[in-house]
Amino acid sequence: MLKLALRRFGAMVLIMAVVSFLLFLIFESDKLAVAGKVLGPYSSIEQRELWLEKEGYNRPFLVRYGEWVADALRGDFGQSIRFKAPVSDLLWPRLANTAILAGLVFALMIPLSLTLGVLAGMREGSLLDRLLSFLSIGTTSIPEFASAAFLVALFVFELRWLPGTSSMTGGFDWRQLVLPVAVLVLYDFGYVARMTRASMAEVMTSPYIRTAVLKGLPRHRVILGHALRNALIAPFTVIVLQLNWLLSGVIVVEVFFAYKGFGALLYEAAMFGDIYLIEACTMVAVFVAVFSQFLSDVGYTLLNPRIRFAREGG
Amino acid sequence: MAKGNDGRRIHPGVRRMTAQLAAGRCDRREFLRTVTLLGVSAPAAYAMAGRILGQRLVDPLQAAQDAPRRGGILRVSMPVPEIKDPATFDWTEKSNCVRHMVEYLTYTGPDNVTRPYLAERWEASDDLTQWTFHLRRGITWHNGDPFDAEDVVFNFTRWLDPATGSSNQGLFAAMTEEYDTGEKNEDGSPKMGRRMRSGAIEKLDDYTVRLNLSRPVLSIPENLFNYPTAIVHRDFEKNGGDLLAWPVGTGPYTIADFAVGEKCILKRVDRPYWGEALEDPFIGGPIYLDEIHYYDHGAASAAQLAAFASGQVDMTFEVGKDSLQMAQSVPGAVLYEVTTAQTGVMRMQVDKKPFDDPRVRKAVQLCCNAEVYPELVYLGRGTVGEHHHVAPIHPEYFPLPRFEPDVAEARRLLAEAGYAEGLELTIDVGNTNGPWQQQVCEIFREQLAPAGIRLAINVMPAPQYWEIWDKTPFGFTSWTHRPLGTMVLSLGYRCGVPWNETRYCNKAFDEALDAAESTLDVEERRRLMERVERILRDDAVIVQPLWQPKFTVASEKVKGFRAHPTQYHLFHRVWIDA
Repeated sequence: MLKLALRRFGAMVLIMAVVSFLLFLIFESDKLAVAGKVLGPYSSIEQRELWLEKEGYNRPFLVRYGEWVADALRGDFGQSIRFKAPVSDLLWPRLANTAILAGLVFALMIPLSLTLGVLAGMREGSLLDRLLSFLSIGTTSIPEFASAAFLVALFVFELRWLPGTSSMTGGFDWRQLVLPVAVLVLYDFGYVARMTRASMAEVMTSPYIRTAVLKGLPRHRVILGHALRNALIAPFTVIVLQLNWLLSGVIVVEVFFAYKGFGALLYEAAMFGDIYLIEACTMVAVFVAVFSQFLSDVGYTLLNPRIRFAREGG
Repeated sequence: MAKGNDGRRIHPGVRRMTAQLAAGRCDRREFLRTVTLLGVSAPAAYAMAGRILGQRLVDPLQAAQDAPRRGGILRVSMPVPEIKDPATFDWTEKSNCVRHMVEYLTYTGPDNVTRPYLAERWEASDDLTQWTFHLRRGITWHNGDPFDAEDVVFNFTRWLDPATGSSNQGLFAAMTEEYDTGEKNEDGSPKMGRRMRSGAIEKLDDYTVRLNLSRPVLSIPENLFNYPTAIVHRDFEKNGGDLLAWPVGTGPYTIADFAVGEKCILKRVDRPYWGEALEDPFIGGPIYLDEIHYYDHGAASAAQLAAFASGQVDMTFEVGKDSLQMAQSVPGAVLYEVTTAQTGVMRMQVDKKPFDDPRVRKAVQLCCNAEVYPELVYLGRGTVGEHHHVAPIHPEYFPLPRFEPDVAEARRLLAEAGYAEGLELTIDVGNTNGPWQQQVCEIFREQLAPAGIRLAINVMPAPQYWEIWDKTPFGFTSWTHRPLGTMVLSLGYRCGVPWNETRYCNKAFDEALDAAESTLDVEERRRLMERVERILRDDAVIVQPLWQPKFTVASEKVKGFRAHPTQYHLFHRVWIDA
């Protein structure tokens, strides 16, 4: 088990190293372009060359890369061009904002989708199952920008119940979180519910459940004591992987509602060609992606004994 | 030289304009605009026009106002960009953020009339090559220093220094000269640059400066209310050249809190504002608002409108044409529409293939049937463009004969240029001003097809477009409104000016523009503009399908607001109804 975790961790570090090298290659191999970005379109070639010399850009590429990695590991990603502030000062508050959003989405989405999935999977083909399947497929197939526009039209313009943007300019306001959270939950719960349903339905047809039922155990004990634990293994992986989806999926929602989170920051960085900010945001996004994969792999192995035996046996 | 009642000299042009207005040869707006430019105060100009026309002319704002209320915060949804150095501003939003903090020598009101601001009055020599500005006394900077001629000299010197990289170099080209930078171009020819001519600005005394121009220019007062011409303190550079780090201005407000992409919070400065004693319809009188807040909800007008609909802001920077009905449906919303000279041009770089061949450019232009664009793009609003970048609302606009699209002629020209089999073109469009730009390109693609030109539309994010706007061979660039047609032509189409995105250089055009810019008489100037417009249109460097209308929405509680054709914010007289 430890060996597996270490191997996975090694792979994670390797992926991040490769991505960071590619990132640095793409954005910083053309030195003059970097200087042009920082000093602006009206800067002269002489100004750019002076700047490059001053900032140590005339040293070999690999030396610069090594230094960049060392700085990044210390949390120093340089100065944002658009915001004229250290990247780290921007990144952490924005990540915290996105964590609030993602935390709320998880807190609502997980119980909702698991409950619905289990209810639907308990009796495959029942009216409840069909109804929930229809609902979850429906909401999942509507993209976030469409449901956001629809919810805004209804709750902001028509009913005037909720604020239309979520910049929190006057301090924290939970009302401003309602619409972004609703859009994300609406989009995502169906997917997790469908996975839970499929897993539950599969477990319900397995021999040990049949045995439990035939033994005369009450239905609720069959479900809670035997089926549920096994049925939740597959959804666990899916839920952990939603972390990754949330980090990129929130871009649309954050931009739509002008929520000052990580997704909106990444979007602005990309739009303005703010290279140092793009580099930092990409590394954070890649870290979250590989780390959630790592968690899901390790967690799945812990939860599912079959995998562990298979690996040890092989 | 004629003198007025107060003994001050009156420009002979004022008498000519008076005669023209009386004879019905110019309209009231043109009269007001020109005589105020020549140094007549705005109230006096209104009174003169009233006497001549026999109308009772009311100060435009006074009639509209009922008891204004002091206090309150005006919240506006607008993108908040980086705003370090006013001299290099290139977006209206940037100047709006600091417009109530650093001020201008003149200002052009929502009525397109230019009036005194930090300058109390000005005179022009008869040949319009010398402009003398008398600065207001008693204005102090927020740090207590008096505002005087030193500040103005410092700003002009800075704007015209090539190292600053200010677009003001083009606006005040008549104060600059070409010089040999000492470097060589790739072809070995000496590399030329532009810098301020020695003696171009003179300090006559502590409150008087004179601009000495190499050729006559009429639009100097209007040029002084362009977004990069805000006057900063003479020690601006000594203090880091950063308005945020050293927020010192002369205006009623100062920046209290600022974050790029989030907010710009302006608060009343803790000292009396000089303008409160001023009699002026747009910037004079008591200041009502305690604070002005700009919040960034992104450039998309949908998010701005959503913020407005839910009462998070009182006003938006702009309402897109697609959101007009939505905006009108919000209870208590007041929609403002303004006719502008804002536009977009599909411009071709004359030194890049295939546009280095004038026949190709002409063929492209001949495919454009501009009549259909206002209807298709703005639901019938907006004005048809004529490929010469002078708008019908400009005072010097000369109506050329209608431009007739001619696909057969376009085909012939293309064949002659060696493209008998047709031509593949790609246009870069950044939708910098909204998706209507892409829509224009799509319509144009259909209009080009019959001539055998296949147009690929390369849509890119707006900021990316601004990186290449002056580099791409074929691109769609939006241009903001300016009160005179000659101003954009000077900025964008003269040989070698920084914003010349087409690399167009035609001495005959520059001379014709010089002649128009040096002529005061409206009729005469309009006649001269015929040649300017014709050369630009015939040289086919741009395809200009239409002029845009602009919309904004504000709550009915916002009183005293007037929409400005350049979307410049002037909130001196704005107040919030409780």
